Amino acid sequence: MITRSATAVSALRACTPQRPGTLVGLLFPALAVVTMLFGGGLALGMIQSLGHLPVAGMSSLTLDHFARVLADPDFFKSLGLTLYLSLTSTLIAAAISVAAALAFNALAGRSRAVQFVFQIPLTVPHLVIAVAVVFMLAPSGLLARVLQTIGLISSATEFPLLVNDPWGVGILAAYVWKEVPFITLMILAVLRAGGAELLDVGRTLKAGRWQRFRYITLPMIFPSLGAASLIVFAYTFGAFEVPYLLGQTYPMMLPVWAYKAYSDVDLLSRPEGIATGLVIAAVVTAAVALAQGLTHAARRRGAVL
Amino acid sequence: MFAQRSLKCFTLFAAVILLSTALPACAGALTWPEIEAQAKGQTVDWFMWGGFPSTNAYVNGYVAPRVKELYDITLRQVPVKDIAEVVGKLLAERQAGRGAGGEVDLMWINGENFRTAKRHGLLFGPFADLLPNQKLVNWDKPSVQNDFGEPVEGLESPWGSAQVVMIYDSRRTPAPPRTVGTLLDWARRNPGRFTYPAPPDFTGSVFVRHVFYHAAGEVAAWQGPFDEKRYAAAAGATYKLLKDLAPFLWRQGRAYPENPIRLSQLLADGEVDFAISYHPAEASKMILDGLYPETVRTFVFEEGTIANTHFVAIPFNAADTAGAMVVANFLISPEAQLKKADASVWGDFPAIALDRLEPHWQARFAALPRGAATLPNDVLQQRQLPEPPSEILIRLERGWDEHVLKGR
Repeated sequence: MITRSATAVSALRACTPQRPGTLVGLLFPALAVVTMLFGGGLALGMIQSLGHLPVAGMSSLTLDHFARVLADPDFFKSLGLTLYLSLTSTLIAAAISVAAALAFNALAGRSRAVQFVFQIPLTVPHLVIAVAVVFMLAPSGLLARVLQTIGLISSATEFPLLVNDPWGVGILAAYVWKEVPFITLMILAVLRAGGAELLDVGRTLKAGRWQRFRYITLPMIFPSLGAASLIVFAYTFGAFEVPYLLGQTYPMMLPVWAYKAYSDVDLLSRPEGIATGLVIAAVVTAAVALAQGLTHAARRRGAVL
Repeated sequence: MFAQRSLKCFTLFAAVILLSTALPACAGALTWPEIEAQAKGQTVDWFMWGGFPSTNAYVNGYVAPRVKELYDITLRQVPVKDIAEVVGKLLAERQAGRGAGGEVDLMWINGENFRTAKRHGLLFGPFADLLPNQKLVNWDKPSVQNDFGEPVEGLESPWGSAQVVMIYDSRRTPAPPRTVGTLLDWARRNPGRFTYPAPPDFTGSVFVRHVFYHAAGEVAAWQGPFDEKRYAAAAGATYKLLKDLAPFLWRQGRAYPENPIRLSQLLADGEVDFAISYHPAEASKMILDGLYPETVRTFVFEEGTIANTHFVAIPFNAADTAGAMVVANFLISPEAQLKKADASVWGDFPAIALDRLEPHWQARFAALPRGAATLPNDVLQQRQLPEPPSEILIRLERGWDEHVLKGR
C-alpha cells in the first residue's frame, strides 16, 4: 500500500515540469496555433485599422481612422449602450445562476435528468436563441398570440415592445437565457467539490443562513463565479448576431457598428470597422485586467478563497 | 555558383507555374467546345445572396442537377447575407496576392458591388461574349448594357430582370395609394402601419431611390453626368421627407426591418400593411407557399417603379473558370430561363429577349401561369424606371444613415 502511493507520488513528480522551458515546450503546439491565428489576425487588423489597404489605394499609416471612430458623436452613445447591455445581462445572469446553483445543490443534487435538461441551452447557438426570442416576444409572436387568445389583451398593439426596443429587453432575455446554464454549471462544479463540511462547521457555530452564504459559500464560489461572469461579459460585449437581430436600428451596439462599417460598399470604411473592432478588444482586455486586479485584492483581504 | 544556378532553376520553375495557372485565364484563346471539355468534372462554387427560399430551391433543385447531367459539373451554392462580403473577401485575397485557386467561382451580383469589383480589378473576363447563349440577350437594352450606370463590358452575364412592386393585402387595404406621394400621406394618416428595410439593404435602398425620384420630380436627368448641386438639393428634400415620416412608421422609425424577408413577415403577421419586393412574382409564389393570404396583390406606382438586371460574374482568382462560364451560359438557356420564370418555381423575369427565341419556346413562355398577385407584363413594362448611377445610390445610403436614421 505504502509502496504504491510512493510510486504514484514519484510518477506525479515526473509529470510536473521541473524547468519553465519544459512547460513552454509542452504548451508549444497550442501556443503556436493561438499566436499564429489570433496574434496574426490581430496584427493584420492593427495594420489595416491604421489605414494600410493598398488595393483600395491606401498605403499610408495613420491614426485618422481611430480618431474618426472616437470623434463620432454616436461613439459614446454606442459604447454606453454596449456597456449597459453587456453588464446588465451579465449581472442578471450571475444572480440567477447563484440562486439556481444553490437550489440544484440542495434539491436536485443527485438528479441527473434535471441537470441534463439544464445543459440543453449550452448546445444551442446564440443565433438560434435570438430567432426564438423574435418568435416568442415580438408583437406578432407566440406570447402575444396566447395573451390575445385568452383575452388578456385585445390586439397585438397592446403587447409591450420587447424586441427591437429602446431598453434592449429582447437582447437581455436572449443573453440571460443562454448564459445562466453556463454560469450555473461553473458554480455547481465548485459546490460539488466540497464545502459541506465548512457549512456544517458554520452551523455548529450558530451562523444564520445569510451568514453562511455570505462568509462561506460566496467566498468559495466567487473565483469561478467571477471567471464565468467575465467570460460572459467579454462575449456579450463583442458579439454581433443577437443585437443585430434584436436591437434597434439606431443607436446600435459596437459590434453591429463594426460589422456595418466593415461590410460597407465603400472600401474606405473598412479601416474604421476594424478600428471599432480593436476598440472592442481593448475594452474587453481592460475589463479582464480590472477584474483580475479586484479579485487579487479581495483575495489578499481574505474576502474570497 | 550553385546558389545562382538553383536560383535560375527556381525562376524557370516559377515561370512555368505562373504560365500554367495563367493559361486557363486567357479564355479568349479557347473555343466553346474546348471550354466545355475543360469544365467537365469541375466543381463550381456559386456565392449568392441566400435570402429567397425559391431562388435557393431553383439553384439546388434544378440548376445543379441539370448541369451535372449535361456537363458533368458539380454546382455548389454558397449562400451569403450580402454579396458585398464576398467582394470584400476578394479584395483581401487580391491584397494578399492570391491570384489563383480562389474558392469563389461564380457570384450573383449587380449595382454598386459590381462597380466596386470592376474598379478594383476583382473580375475575370470579359467572358460574356464567349457564351453561345449570349445571342439571346438584347445588349442594346440600357439596363443590360449598363449596370446601375456602370458599363458591363462583358465582365458579367445577365441572369434575370427585376422590377420593384408594392405588396398589400386587398382584404385589409382595398384601395392602396398608387403614387409615392400618396403612399407617404397614407403612412402619416396610419401611424405604425408602414415601414421599409433599413438601407443599405437593397430593397430598403431602392425604396429610398423612389422617394428621391419623387422629391426631385425628375428621373431621366440623373442618367447623365453627376451634378453635385442639383443632387444636393434633391437629396436634401428626400431626407426631409423621410425624416418627417419616421415618427409615423412602424416602431416610430426607431427600428427598421433588416431585410425584405422580415418586412414580408410583418405584412403576413398583420403588423404593417405594405411590403416591397424587387421581384414582381414573389408575392404569387408566397401565396402558393402558404406564406401570404390569397387576397394579397401587388401594384406599381403610377409614375413607375425602378427596374434593373441582375447578373453573374466570375472572380479574378476563380479556380474553375471554365465550369463557371458553362454554368453562366446554361443560366441564360431558354430551358433554364423558362423554369426560372415559372411562378411555382421562382417567377423571376427572363434576362433574355423573348422575341429572339424560336416560336415553340416563345409559346411556352406565353403559356406560363402568371400567379394571382403578379401584374401583367405590359403593365410592368409601361411603368419601368431606370436605376440611377451607383454613385447616387451610395450617397443616398450614406445620407439616409446620417440624416434619417441618426437625425443629424
